[in-house]
Amino acid sequence: MTPKTTWTRSLRTALAQAARDTAYLTVGTLTSALALAVWITGVTLTLSLVVFVVGLPIVIASAVAFRWTAELDRRNAAWLLGRPVRGVYRGAGHGLRARLRATLCDPQSARDLVWLVLHSMLGFTLGCIGVGMVVFVAGLVTLPAWYWSLPNGRVDFGLWHADSTAKAFLGVLLALPTAFVTVGVLRVCARAESWLAVRLLDGDDAGVSPSVDSPTDAPPRRRRFDPEIAFSLHGAVTAFVAVLMAVIWVGVGLGYFWPAWVWLGIAAPLGIHVVIRRAVRAPAVRGRSVRVHAEASALIVGYLTLVWAMSGGGTFWPFWAALGLSVPLGLHALVVYRDRLNPTREQELTERVDVLTRTRQGALDVQAAELRRIERDLHDGAQARLVSLSMLVGRAEEQLADRPEVAALVRRAREEAGAAIGELRDLARGIAPPVLTDRGLNAAVQALGVRAPMAVTVDVFDEGRPPPVVETAAYFVVAEALTNVAKHAGGAPARVVVTRDASRLVVEVSDDGPGGADPAGSGLKGLVSRVEAIDGTLRVTSPAGGPTTIRAELPCGS
Amino acid sequence: MRVVIVEDNALLREGIVALLRERDIDVVAQAEDAPGLLRIVAGHKPDVAIVDVRLPPTFTDDGVRAAIEARERYPGLGVLILSQYVEPVYTQELLASGTGGVGYLLKERVGEVRAFVEAIERVASGGTALDREVVAELMRTRGAEAGDEGLGSLTPREREVLALMAEGRTNAAIARELVVTSGAIEKHVSSIFGKLDLPASDDDHRRVLAVLASLRAGG
Repeated sequence: MTPKTTWTRSLRTALAQAARDTAYLTVGTLTSALALAVWITGVTLTLSLVVFVVGLPIVIASAVAFRWTAELDRRNAAWLLGRPVRGVYRGAGHGLRARLRATLCDPQSARDLVWLVLHSMLGFTLGCIGVGMVVFVAGLVTLPAWYWSLPNGRVDFGLWHADSTAKAFLGVLLALPTAFVTVGVLRVCARAESWLAVRLLDGDDAGVSPSVDSPTDAPPRRRRFDPEIAFSLHGAVTAFVAVLMAVIWVGVGLGYFWPAWVWLGIAAPLGIHVVIRRAVRAPAVRGRSVRVHAEASALIVGYLTLVWAMSGGGTFWPFWAALGLSVPLGLHALVVYRDRLNPTREQELTERVDVLTRTRQGALDVQAAELRRIERDLHDGAQARLVSLSMLVGRAEEQLADRPEVAALVRRAREEAGAAIGELRDLARGIAPPVLTDRGLNAAVQALGVRAPMAVTVDVFDEGRPPPVVETAAYFVVAEALTNVAKHAGGAPARVVVTRDASRLVVEVSDDGPGGADPAGSGLKGLVSRVEAIDGTLRVTSPAGGPTTIRAELPCGS
Repeated sequence: MRVVIVEDNALLREGIVALLRERDIDVVAQAEDAPGLLRIVAGHKPDVAIVDVRLPPTFTDDGVRAAIEARERYPGLGVLILSQYVEPVYTQELLASGTGGVGYLLKERVGEVRAFVEAIERVASGGTALDREVVAELMRTRGAEAGDEGLGSLTPREREVLALMAEGRTNAAIARELVVTSGAIEKHVSSIFGKLDLPASDDDHRRVLAVLASLRAGG
């Protein structure tokens, strides 16, 4: 390849690029004019009609128009860049409500609007500069052919003018450097405009593309459109303009305080921005739409009141606006909260479930308290009397050393009393072992671990005590699970872990035994009913070959 | 021998006092709650305090806690806990605290008057008296997993002797209980200590601790 061919090739490439840039900018100028018309019409119509129900379809129609305009420019940018520029919108459902929600909440719609406003100004300016330069160069090249046709037979360039054929040909010579400059200017303008389009209109670039196939461990794309930054920027620009107006007012010699009207003008978009921002950030609860609606209405009425005050008072005409706005707001609230006026079956059931949940909890608490009372009564009453009896009989036995046959009978009586005490002891232990009542779950589970015939590691949370019902259920889950491990796991070591967070207690007992535990076994079934009674869940994982894990989750709001 | 009793149930308290008087054991003071234990121990300097586990004010394990505190405060004080439950946790806490004699018996043992008085005397002289249920529980859980090592290698007679040792009995008492000679018991004891690999000791209390430690460690 010779230097000459490289040079010509570069020139050809540059010219081709310049031609593409020119075409792009020309189309951009047209779309910018369209954008201007579309966004002014859309925003004006939306803002003026949104308080009435007819405004809602207008919102959708505007968004569709915004989309089409944006789509036109996307194609233009794609053609220039030689790669697809795609807008990624969330799918809209059917029905007015779903479509409205999809339209208003779609981040790409918001970017479309921002782009429309910027492009309507920037696109037009850049287009005029680029196309103007091209026309200028073309004019220079053809100068000898037309300079004479103008009035006075001369073309005036300010510092220089062509009024003769010689000068006109000089102009042709000047066309060459101007053309170089023009190619550069075209590149800069086209790049600026396409950069803006890609930045705001390309879903892939903005990182909102729901990429299904990209691996999840890829670093997340930088988010180009951050609503918080946009809001801060908006606030800053508004404040700057407000201060600037005040400064200008001082500079031009005070007088009537006209900046107030400018402030009023720039406060409106900021107010709308605040309402939108609050709407987006509001928690998704029932009544959110009513709240947003009320805020927007309050904003409008407050704004009109300001206008009324600044225009010198008089009849309080904003009252009529307030009245007009309150009607749709009232209807809206009525629609959202209609079920409060007329309770439905579903709501009756919800209330019933609430009542039942509460009363069941109460019943369980009462039951737990009753059981502990019975245990205490046994301890202080029957058990104490039997112990006393056994003591009296023992003393009698001592004094019957000389009558061994009677002493043997008395001894049997004492042994019977001892057996009765033993049975009462087992009964009381089944209700709640004393160490659980006395020392809490940690100590009780530790004791279970010590008593178990195999090695058991125990890890139990040690802060605060859950309600007695939950504590007892957790204890018996561990006890039954350890009994099962001892029976079936062939001496394999077991682990008990009990953790607690704000809302639940999680009990996990696992072993490295042979597995294959039957969740329908009677012991486990008993545990399931105990756990389900307090709205807990019990899961047994026991694949053949092990390991076996019993996991109980017990809700304990405390 | 000076004894104090802390028991909130008047029926039982009066019964024990009457029983001990018949046996010429001097009950120098009585109390009904856990703070009362510390008060009368401070005031009467007894040899043994007989304490119920479940006492006012909280009716949980106040008795055990107060007894441990008393043992730490008054070295040489013997403490005999009476409980309606076998609770190894409490037994271990008691054994680990203080220096004097320790006992943990189920309440119904007071009916076996002679054995009960023996236990009090053992505790008073710095020995140990553990309920056979407590020992049986330790032997049962540890015995279940033991193979040819440790407990599993003991003969039935040796297991009997081991259980009685763990209760805190002396060789002479064990011989009396099993109706054999002291010499036979000594042979069993040295055989047990050999099989369990325990250090031989003449001190009865240390012997009990060694046996219990061995049981807890899994034989």
